[in-house]
Amino acid sequence: MNANDELRTKKLLQQSLPPVDRDSEPARDLWPAVLRRLDARTAAPPWFDWALGAGLVAFAAFFPASIPVFLYYL
Amino acid sequence: MNSHPYLRAFLAGIFVPTLILPVFLTVFIVVRLWLQVPVPIERGLVFPMALVPALWGLWNMLWLASHPGTHLSIGAHGAVLPLLLMPAGTLTASCLGILALGSRGVTWFQGVYVPYALIAPCFLAALAGYYLVWKYIVGFLNRVLGIA
Repeated sequence: MNANDELRTKKLLQQSLPPVDRDSEPARDLWPAVLRRLDARTAAPPWFDWALGAGLVAFAAFFPASIPVFLYYL
Repeated sequence: MNSHPYLRAFLAGIFVPTLILPVFLTVFIVVRLWLQVPVPIERGLVFPMALVPALWGLWNMLWLASHPGTHLSIGAHGAVLPLLLMPAGTLTASCLGILALGSRGVTWFQGVYVPYALIAPCFLAALAGYYLVWKYIVGFLNRVLGIA
């Protein structure tokens, strides 16, 4: 590619790509929203699930005879 | 990774009960072979080792097939499984002679006594346990294998 081709390519690119408008930038910082999205993916289980798990542990602790029966059905 | 989704659903479903199998084997070796406790534990292994893993796999395949129509969450779908497993397991245990029905309760493995008043809480606890296991473990595996 010689200098003439480079100039021609540059001119074609400038014609085909629209000029970047400085006012087109977002009005606010988007990075906190990205961080919130990432945090939402690793959100902790809801309180209802914690309560169910705690209830199961308490049940097994109070009635240990139920553990082999549970294992039989698992 | 869009091929054989039902095979992947089956594999994700059998994951948890398959992990429990070595625990059963260890208990069997310790209790029956080492301690020589006269409990017919080998008869009790038939249901959890032969039937339960396959049922979990088939249940997950059923969830995959029915989910587009029912929109049922994986946890709720898994919590329904004890409704099928409890009668099947009880029938199997009764036929194999490891469950004896008494006047006030049930005796498992000729040694574990569960009063009738405790059966309903046991069943509710099983529903809760299945809900959590299916929601967090099977659901995670389904996402990893690209079917959820």
